[in-house]
Amino acid sequence: MPTPALKRVLIANRGEIAVRVIRACQALGLETVAAVSQADRDSLPARMATRAVCIGPAPARDSYLRPELLVAAARGTGCDAVHPGYGFLSERAGFASLCARAGITFIGPSPEAIETMGDKLAAVELAAAAGVPRVPGSGRVGGLADAQVFVLRHGLPVLIKASAGGGGRGMRIVQREADLARALEAAAAEAQAAFGDPSLYLERFIERARHVEIQVLGDSHGNVVHLGERDCSTQRRHQKLIEEAPSPAVGPGLRDELAAAAIRLAQRVRYQGAGTVEFIVDDDTGRWYFLEMNTRIQVEHPVTEMITGRDIVVEQLRIAAGAPLSFAQGDVKPSGHAIECRINAEDPARNFQPSPGTLHAWTPPRMTGVRVDTHCHAGYVVPPFYDSLLAKVIVHAATRPLAIDAMRAALEAFVIGGVPTTVPFHRDVLCHDDFRSGRVTTRWVEEKFLASASSGQPHPLAPSEVGARP
Amino acid sequence: MELTYSDVQNILKIIDEAPSLEEIDLVYGGFRLHVVRNGAGGSKPLTITQARETLADRATPAAAIAPPRAGTAAAVAVPDGMVAIRAPMLGTFYRAPAPGEKPFVEEGQRVCADDTVCLIEVMKLFNSIRAGVDGEVVKIIAENGGLVEFDQPLILIAPGAQGRS
Repeated sequence: MPTPALKRVLIANRGEIAVRVIRACQALGLETVAAVSQADRDSLPARMATRAVCIGPAPARDSYLRPELLVAAARGTGCDAVHPGYGFLSERAGFASLCARAGITFIGPSPEAIETMGDKLAAVELAAAAGVPRVPGSGRVGGLADAQVFVLRHGLPVLIKASAGGGGRGMRIVQREADLARALEAAAAEAQAAFGDPSLYLERFIERARHVEIQVLGDSHGNVVHLGERDCSTQRRHQKLIEEAPSPAVGPGLRDELAAAAIRLAQRVRYQGAGTVEFIVDDDTGRWYFLEMNTRIQVEHPVTEMITGRDIVVEQLRIAAGAPLSFAQGDVKPSGHAIECRINAEDPARNFQPSPGTLHAWTPPRMTGVRVDTHCHAGYVVPPFYDSLLAKVIVHAATRPLAIDAMRAALEAFVIGGVPTTVPFHRDVLCHDDFRSGRVTTRWVEEKFLASASSGQPHPLAPSEVGARP
Repeated sequence: MELTYSDVQNILKIIDEAPSLEEIDLVYGGFRLHVVRNGAGGSKPLTITQARETLADRATPAAAIAPPRAGTAAAVAVPDGMVAIRAPMLGTFYRAPAPGEKPFVEEGQRVCADDTVCLIEVMKLFNSIRAGVDGEVVKIIAENGGLVEFDQPLILIAPGAQGRS
């Protein structure tokens, strides 16, 4: 079998992940071409890459979301592979097959694997066939009558989900049966608008859920390994804010069960590349369920790299070049604890409003055990066109309490001027007893941490409080 | 209403799969798609030329051209008094309608705003680029058959409405 040895890689993404992929390519001696929008012409990835190519105007729909432009850019610059990063076209089966038809290696799994896992309902059905439990749920819901039957059998509350969904869109929690009809209607309309597909299904709603995910890697020789779990329960409106590994809620027994399930599922779709199998762990019963599989590199992959010492992006490139995994399952020996905080250009004191603007000051912390993944620099103008992620601060220490302290020190040392960021939010969460004792579930940020504002106590992020700090 | 990129791809697929079809000329509103299949073998690649003859295009000839801007990373500085025809999309730049044929324009030639001056190909779709302004072709900057980036200057024009010399 011919192996598609790689020479030059097109980076079909922007921001910190473009920088991350370019670094991995450099480590392997690969040339890089940064495909950039007009707004990103002078960005760090454009300057780091061997060459930059402007693919279109600033809005993503005219540049980063245009498969044919990216493939044309790859061909025109002599690239033999495309790295899609995360978001944008990374989970579009059509992009992967367009690359294949143009003779360009898509750095990721097969279009079929992306397609199966992208349809959330198809994915849970596949999971069930692989003996991986899913949250008790329905098939495609035809109408109100179907939904009422489900509620009768499983009780309330229920979660309405879009089959084509992701990112929380098309999702509704229904607490009372009287609200069911209206919620179905609203969810279908939202799913139609967001994904062009109004198909819905129902799941029993787990009130106190932990988000635990397993990192897997598969190569073209049939090997599949896992790199342990990440806990991403600290989230707001389904957007992850803090991730850590290992999970404070997962012991050796549960870890083995989740990892075995993730590997079974990956093998079922002959998975090639880096992927993440997400699970919900019910904090009240200890039972766990398959949620979905992400067929790309994750934002939070560095916490796994810190505790395993493995470079996941380098493995992605090696796998795409047809090489076998550079290590076996037995070689994976996690050590210590890692935490990642996402530093977003969002104002936590104003309901996390996006805050584009110019970074007048930008000095990331430089300390032992601290890693900062970023595309920002002093003077950088945060454009209003894309997501608000500025940087990821990742710390690695011997234990969880030491990692929390290291993160507090790192955030304290991080100098950012010009735009409001999520740093104050992280600082306050890291001090909170619930977080320190590892008791955070997926609705904790909204229902407990942020809700303390309306309970008469001073809001932890009230502007006056922030201003009063030394 | 405009045809989307995937609409055109679907049309091409239908034509490609048709057993005995050599040429098609499709007019859809203001959109014209002209496809010629090379030779007799159905497995040979398609040669596609696409011309956009819309009233909207005629009404706004400046769409294909952007005024020179200071501070962009575009490699070529546009001299005072000249206008650059810029790439409205990333793709492969072609000076002639087909290999071996005469280029659309040569340096020193006069052009009208509506004249096609080059093609940009994005994955087998050929987009005709118009001058957008009356004047004289001073310099052809882009390299034939090479990749051009979005907004890159392709051709320099010295604008002027006087008759052909």
